[in-house]
Amino acid sequence: MRPLGPLVLALALGGAAREGVARADPAPPSTPAALPVRVAQLALEKGVVKLTVGYRDVVDAEIARKLESGLPTVVTMRGYLFREAGGDPIALTARTCRIVYDLWDEVFRIELAQPGGASTAVAVNVEGVLRNCAEARKLPLVDGALLAAGARYFVATLVEVNPVSQEMLDRIKRWVTRPSGASAIGPGDSLFGSFVGLFVARIGDADRKLAFRTQAFLPPAPAP
Amino acid sequence: MSLRLRLGLLGALAVALPAGVSAADEPPAAAPTASQRLRYTLEDIEIRGNGRTAARVILRHVPFHAGDVLDVGDPEIELARYRLLGTGFFSSVSMSLRRGGRRGAAVLVIEVTERNTLVVQNLWFGIAADEDTAGNAKPLSGFLGLEAAETNLAGTGIALGAGIAVAAQQLALRAHVEDPAFAGTTWSGLFSVVYADARDFFGSRAVIWESPQLGAAQASDYAIVAYQRYGGTLGTGHALGLFSQLGLDYHLEQIDAIVPTAASHLRGDTREPIDFAIHPGKSLLSTLRASLTYDSRDLPFLPRRGTLASAAITAGVPPLGSDYGYARVELSGQRWWELPWKHVLHASAFVGGIAGSAPFFEKFYIGDFTDLIPDRVLDLTPDRRQPPNLLGTSIIEERFGDFAAKIDLEYRVPIFTGKRAIYGIDAFVSGGLWGVAAARDLTSPPSGYTGLRRIPVDLTYNVGVRLDTALGGATIAFSNLLGLIPAGTTVQH
Repeated sequence: MRPLGPLVLALALGGAAREGVARADPAPPSTPAALPVRVAQLALEKGVVKLTVGYRDVVDAEIARKLESGLPTVVTMRGYLFREAGGDPIALTARTCRIVYDLWDEVFRIELAQPGGASTAVAVNVEGVLRNCAEARKLPLVDGALLAAGARYFVATLVEVNPVSQEMLDRIKRWVTRPSGASAIGPGDSLFGSFVGLFVARIGDADRKLAFRTQAFLPPAPAP
Repeated sequence: MSLRLRLGLLGALAVALPAGVSAADEPPAAAPTASQRLRYTLEDIEIRGNGRTAARVILRHVPFHAGDVLDVGDPEIELARYRLLGTGFFSSVSMSLRRGGRRGAAVLVIEVTERNTLVVQNLWFGIAADEDTAGNAKPLSGFLGLEAAETNLAGTGIALGAGIAVAAQQLALRAHVEDPAFAGTTWSGLFSVVYADARDFFGSRAVIWESPQLGAAQASDYAIVAYQRYGGTLGTGHALGLFSQLGLDYHLEQIDAIVPTAASHLRGDTREPIDFAIHPGKSLLSTLRASLTYDSRDLPFLPRRGTLASAAITAGVPPLGSDYGYARVELSGQRWWELPWKHVLHASAFVGGIAGSAPFFEKFYIGDFTDLIPDRVLDLTPDRRQPPNLLGTSIIEERFGDFAAKIDLEYRVPIFTGKRAIYGIDAFVSGGLWGVAAARDLTSPPSGYTGLRRIPVDLTYNVGVRLDTALGGATIAFSNLLGLIPAGTTVQH
C-alpha cells in the first residue's frame, strides 16, 4: 500500500467544544459495500473532494414531532470513504446539527458544526430544518491528492438522530440498574435488578438511524 | 491494530486515515451557543397518561420544580426520562415543553404509557436426586420455586411480592413489601416474612440415626432434621454514590426443629456423632446484617464490562434474643471484560467464614458452590446428593460448612443480539475451583485422607446458554446432565 502524506488533514477547525459530543455508533459500518445505494455528487474544489447528498428521510413523523417539543434534537452524519476494492476507510467527514424550537419566537434555532466551522441558523418550519440539517452540501471529504487516479471509491454514510454518547449511555444504565434507594431483597434477586433488566437492554443508542452508501466514483476532476 | 482518532481532540472535522487504520470517530459537537441556550421559567409540570401511578411517584424522579429556570439543554431532562423508564412502571415516556402563561415561561409535559408491573422475579424447576454410598441413583423427586412481585402497588411505587418453593415434603413461603423511597427519603424500606416447613439431610456414609418423632430407628444414607421457620426482616438501603449501595437488615425468626435423638455416621474411616447445628425444639434466631455493594456493570443480566463486589457481615446477636451467637463474613468480587473480538470473559471470587454457632441453614451449602448440584430454592435444599468429588478429596464429607471459597472463570460467546423480544443469547462455558469446610475440619480432619486429599476442594463446570428476553433473563444450563445425573433446567427471571 502506498504511504500517505500527512496522516491527518485538518480541513477546518470548527472550535467545537467537547460538551455534548455524540457518539452512538463510533465504528464504521462493517459491510459498507452492502449498504443501499444513494446517488451523491462528488466534486473537486480547491484540491478538496466535496460531497453533496441528502438524507431527509431520517426525519419521519415521530422525529418531526420531537423537533417541535421545545427540547434539543441532534442530527449527526458521518461519511466514511472506502476504496471499492475493499479495505479500511481511508477518510472520514462528519457534521452535526442541533435544533431547538423556540416556544416564544416560534422558530427553530439551528447550530451546525461541519468542516469549515460552526454556524447558526434560524428556520421557520420543518422544511427549513430539513434543508439545513438533512442535506450535506459540498461537505469536505478528503484531500484530492490522496486519491489514486483510476481507483474507484464510495462513501458509506451513517446518520443518527439524538445519538446517545457512550458516557451518557453508561450513566443511564448504571442509574437505572441501581436507582437511588433500591435495596436488595436477597442475593441475586434485587427487586429492581430483575425488572430493570427488562429495560436496560432496550436502551437504544439513537432515536433513529439511517445507513447508506454512495455510488462508486473515480476521483473527480477539477471543474473547468 | 486499530487506532481511535477522536475528532473532538484533534479539532478536525474531516480526516484522512492511513492504510490499515480503522476509524472510530465522533461527529463534531454542535455545542449550544449563548443564543441556543434557551432557558425558560418553569411554570408547572404537567403529567399525562398516568391512570394508576400517582403523580408524586413520577415527580420523585424529576429534579425540577415550578419556579426553576430550565435550560432546555440540561442533560437532567433526558436522564429523568430514563429514570422514569427505569422504574419499570411505563412502557414509554416522552417529554416536551409548551408555552406558559407569560413570555419566557414554559410547562414541562411528561407523557407516560403505563405497563404491566406484575413481574416474575425467579422461577426454578428441576429434579432433585439421591444416591447410595455406592453411587447408585435412588428415586428422583421434583422441585419448583416461583417468586413474583407487583412493583407498582396501586400506583404508589411500592412493591409487593411473594414466593413459594415446593420440594418433596418441603414447603417455603416468602412475602415482602418494599418502598424504594421510604417516607419520601432517599432510604428504601423493606419488610419481609418467611415461612418454611422443611427438612434437611445429614451424614456422609453408613448413617445410623433414631428419631422417635419421625419414626423408628433408621438405617439410611442420611439422617433427617425436620424443622419449621417463621419470622420476618426489616431492612433499609441507601445509595452511597453512583455505584455503591449500603444495606442494613434486622431479622428475627423462630425455629421449631425435630432433631434425631441419636445419630452417627462414618466421617472418613471413623464413626462419629453427627452435629446437626440446630437446637432441638423451639429456638430463636435474631440477626443483624450490613452489606456494602459496588456495582458498575453495564447490564444486569448479560454484563459485558464492569465490576460487582460486595462485603457483608451477618451476626447472630444473643443480647437481641438469639439462641445462636455467630458472625458470618462474606466477600465477593466479579469482573467482566469484553474482549476485542466481542466475546466476554467473567472472573469471580468468593470467600466467607463463620465464627460461632450458626444454624445449619445459615452455613455455606455445597450446592451454592458447585454447578453440578442444584442450589437452594428459597432456602430449601431439595437435593440430597453429596458433592461430585472430581478431585477425590475430603469434600465428599461436606454438606454445610463454616468456611467456603470459590474462584470461577466464564467465557461467553454472543450468538444473537436483538432489539425486540430477545435482546441477546450468549453461549457460555465455565469452570472453577471451590471448597467448603467445617470448623472441625481444621482441628480434626476426617480420617483416611492423606496429603492434598485432606483439603476439601473440588472442581465445578458448566455449559449452556443465557437469554436476555422481554420476559426476563434465563439461564439454561447443562451441568447436571454433564454430571451424568438426570436433572432439570433452572430458569431465573
